[in-house]
Amino acid sequence: MLSHVTAVWKFRHFLLALVRLDLRLRYRRSVLGIGWSLLNPIAMTIVFTVVFSGILGADAKKYAPFLLVGMAIWAFLRESAVAGSRALIANESYIRQSPLPYALYPLRTVLGQAIHFAIALAVGVALVVFLNGHLGNPEHGTGPLEVIGLIAPGLVLILIAAWAVATVFAFVNVYFQDTQHLLEVGSQILFFLTPIIYERSKLDGKDLGWVVDANPANLFMDLIRAPILHGEPPTLQLYLTAAGVTAGLVGLAAGTTAWLQKKVIFHL
Amino acid sequence: MAKIELNGVGLTFTVHPHKRVSLKEYLVRGLFRRSVNPPLAVHALAGVNLKAGPGSRVGVIGHNGAGKSSLLRLLAGIYPPTAGDRVVEGRVCSLFDISLGFEPEATGWDNIAYRSYLQGETPATLKGKVDAIAAFTELGEFLNVPVRHYSAGMLMRLAFSIATTIDPEILLVDEVLAVGDLAFQQKAQARMKEMMASARLMVLVAHDLTTIRNMCNRVLWMEHGAVVKDGPPAEVIDAYVRSVKGPSAGVKAA
Repeated sequence: MLSHVTAVWKFRHFLLALVRLDLRLRYRRSVLGIGWSLLNPIAMTIVFTVVFSGILGADAKKYAPFLLVGMAIWAFLRESAVAGSRALIANESYIRQSPLPYALYPLRTVLGQAIHFAIALAVGVALVVFLNGHLGNPEHGTGPLEVIGLIAPGLVLILIAAWAVATVFAFVNVYFQDTQHLLEVGSQILFFLTPIIYERSKLDGKDLGWVVDANPANLFMDLIRAPILHGEPPTLQLYLTAAGVTAGLVGLAAGTTAWLQKKVIFHL
Repeated sequence: MAKIELNGVGLTFTVHPHKRVSLKEYLVRGLFRRSVNPPLAVHALAGVNLKAGPGSRVGVIGHNGAGKSSLLRLLAGIYPPTAGDRVVEGRVCSLFDISLGFEPEATGWDNIAYRSYLQGETPATLKGKVDAIAAFTELGEFLNVPVRHYSAGMLMRLAFSIATTIDPEILLVDEVLAVGDLAFQQKAQARMKEMMASARLMVLVAHDLTTIRNMCNRVLWMEHGAVVKDGPPAEVIDAYVRSVKGPSAGVKAA
């Protein structure tokens, strides 16, 4: 597995050049360009905020940043899985040319998504600062720098976890092309089972808390969203759980790669 | 040091007549006896032995489907051997399907960078070579155009220039040179001779026997995934031509 990662590192220039290309091509010939990455979560947030602050009676000033950050995290996870599942099929031409490590191709997708994620997250942070006048929470003794320090481990973990998930699905999708469609349906369902458009506390009262606890996506919500919104440091246990889940996913991805890397070429 | 060593290498894989197996198919196969998409075993290579070192220019000839391209892909590390073992040492560069592995929407310049990085170059080492690559392609202004507008010959120029300028120790070429125009073919042959002079290892698959005769100092004749004959070009090519045309055809056809 380590040799796989060092091989990816060896071809980092290739990888980064393609990530840059993907970014450039995505908004080729569009007037707004990368502005679309900003506009999409903002528009969704406005719609949801208007609708849900009415229905749920939520305070729009609190709800909007909550939603924006949650959607950014969710969009990154979803797109990494869905788009990542096509990574091997989409890069077949490279796979047939050069024996590069397979994990490089899902990483191309995930890094591309990470850039959009970073932009959306920055908008979320800007909104928090705009509405609250500051980032962090004096009660917890956290300022802007502390908040960034608090979410940094979460960001690293979510990136690794997304890479691992994308790698597993990319392999599975070569064998069963239904996977990408299943993922689209699955992510739609999971979207409503994850506390993105509602607070987790809404479920606790209805004995549904376990739905959230069993959902790994929620770990990253707590790990990244909570510090940004409330300046509240995540508990050590949360960090460790997320690290454990990520390690499990990496193990799964490494196992899948080791198992299939000599076979998958004959099925492409 | 460039080195190729194949010991009793075999390559067997299963393919499905319909390209991919669906989940439904997978489940149905467990429940019903006969599948509509049964796997077929393909014996692409069987018991291939090959040893080559620096300065070898190995030509591979044979019918379509004899396993020539599979052999090259195996040498490149794309296909893992399913039997025997493979040792390939040295920086490998392969020229297979020329239109593959280009980003169609990116310009010629960008694709030079991508392909070079793919071969293990870094931005620093590429800087000194990019002009040489561009000059060898003779594509001039076309390098500013996305490669999806390129003709097959232009793509080949680009691919060949990149592959040979970055100085691989092992060059694997599969029947691509024929696409270029006469001027470029001659230029390419000169470049390859140059590379061979510096003790590079090359494996070339071609149907054009004149090319093989001119470029190679050793020829493998393959049939049904096995090496039928291995030796000096004149001898093997003559035997091959005789087998195709019948014993009376003689040598002149080559």
